[in-house]
Amino acid sequence: MSETIFRLLFRLYPSRFRQEYGDEAMQLFRDPARDETGMWPSVRLWCDLLTDLVITIPREYGHTQPEVAGAPAKVCLDGTPTFFVFETTSPGRRPLLLGGLLSLITLVSFPKLMNEFGNSRPPTGWTFASPGAYEKQVEESQRQASQSEQSVGQAQPSTSPPLDAASRHRIIENAIASIKQHHLDHSEAQEAADALLSHERRGDDDGATSTEEFASLATKQLREATGDSELVLLYSTHDIPERMPGPPPPLPAAYGDEMQRINCAFERVEILPHNVGYLKLNAFPDVSVCQATAAAAMTKLNDADALVFDLRDNRGGFPSMVSLIAAYLFDHPEYMYCPLENTTAESWTHSPVPGNKLASKPVYILTSSRTISAAEQFTYNLKMLKRATLVGETTAGGGHAANLHSVGDNFYVGTIEVRAINPYAKSDWNDTGIEPDVKVKALDALKAALSLVDKRQHVN
Amino acid sequence: MPKQKLNPLPSAAFQILLALVGKDLHGYGIMRNVAEQTEDRMRLGPGTLYSSIRALLEEKLIEEVDHTSDSNAKDERRRYYRLTSTGRKLARSEAERLADLLRVARAKNMLRGDYV
Repeated sequence: MSETIFRLLFRLYPSRFRQEYGDEAMQLFRDPARDETGMWPSVRLWCDLLTDLVITIPREYGHTQPEVAGAPAKVCLDGTPTFFVFETTSPGRRPLLLGGLLSLITLVSFPKLMNEFGNSRPPTGWTFASPGAYEKQVEESQRQASQSEQSVGQAQPSTSPPLDAASRHRIIENAIASIKQHHLDHSEAQEAADALLSHERRGDDDGATSTEEFASLATKQLREATGDSELVLLYSTHDIPERMPGPPPPLPAAYGDEMQRINCAFERVEILPHNVGYLKLNAFPDVSVCQATAAAAMTKLNDADALVFDLRDNRGGFPSMVSLIAAYLFDHPEYMYCPLENTTAESWTHSPVPGNKLASKPVYILTSSRTISAAEQFTYNLKMLKRATLVGETTAGGGHAANLHSVGDNFYVGTIEVRAINPYAKSDWNDTGIEPDVKVKALDALKAALSLVDKRQHVN
Repeated sequence: MPKQKLNPLPSAAFQILLALVGKDLHGYGIMRNVAEQTEDRMRLGPGTLYSSIRALLEEKLIEEVDHTSDSNAKDERRRYYRLTSTGRKLARSEAERLADLLRVARAKNMLRGDYV
């Protein structure tokens, strides 16, 4: 379809240019269209193409005109008209109709497109972070908002409320109590407390006379003392609600609607040449909403000889969906490590899946620097289990989310309160990302993976 | 057909010449090389690419080469291009011109560090 549109647009060039470079230009459209899959790369490709067309079509006619102008029009049209033409034949009815139609479409669609792109943002619920789930996303966004405020405050110290020694002392006392109550490691909590108090005694905090400065300084002191990069003292003018124990609140109805609209983020489910199953998945959506879609997608790929999971645009989601999809890749239950959850019965995949033929098929995962959160959980586990070959870029490195507790005066202490068992290493992908097995630019990852499949099929 | 003016050398034409230094490339290869060497700041579309190629061919700064016997060239429809010695000289002189500009900018304290 898009090739047909480009072919039609290309007809707007002078015929001489089309004859000379038409085939190659079409090839030049096909190649990037094949390599740059996904919504945003496609949008960017089309923006590039349309910009190129707008700039170069008038220029090409500009180059053509002087030459044609040298030829008297009477040669073309038996002397009747007195104007010059670009072509040696009169334009037929079809090109004129086509040109008119395309102009009309462009005129009508341009304001709409500009409006769309001007207001573009990821769909709500797209970055639903994790288990525990929707509320964590809310919390994370609040955290980001407060961090953003913090940095703004640092840039403009005059807007940051002042803080005297007595207030600092009160905040330190409350922060220590909170860290001791919530931090998983008691000795680290004690180290954090000792560090805050000794810095205060030495007068290290005396220069931090604004809330933002103090939050930043105390966070640095806490992290230096404990080596815990998740431990944080935040200042926020917004109230951040305490997360209540118990099950997470139900997902809003809008989430289900959004998932339905985007086919549960299963953007493409296809069988590529050489019987390669290709799944472009842009999130790991909630199982309660998207189980049927996931099952249908995996069933469609069931007869493939190899699987390519394209997670280059995957912004995370729910570990339950990670386990559900991973279940198809094993013939026995496998442990799916998740840094946000304590180990439960649900940490194992429900493998084997009845009727499934994919457990023995080679798996490739395409990654980018945007691949994050649950997508990294999926990628990390399959890499550690040597069940997949990773092709692309090092992933974003986002896995953990601190829980925030108010310590008064609009200050909050953030700590990690779940420390899941990682059977593979002391640290996981948090901050560092996951290194691919085959390092190529994200743009080239699909091509590289298909080439690996091709080589493997030739060997076998 | 009238020749496109290559004086001054347009940025796209210069990037194409740079992409062809040391290797023959087809259109898509050039496009990718240019995107890579400009860190994606310049993405050539078919119109710009082939109008520049035509101008460079006319000025004999590049030439078409036969790659049909190459086992890697699966698609015989693709035309490969090679830098000529004239093209190499022009690319070098353009690079030197840009380097001179950078030196001037640096002398006027517009840039920090050793860029040149």
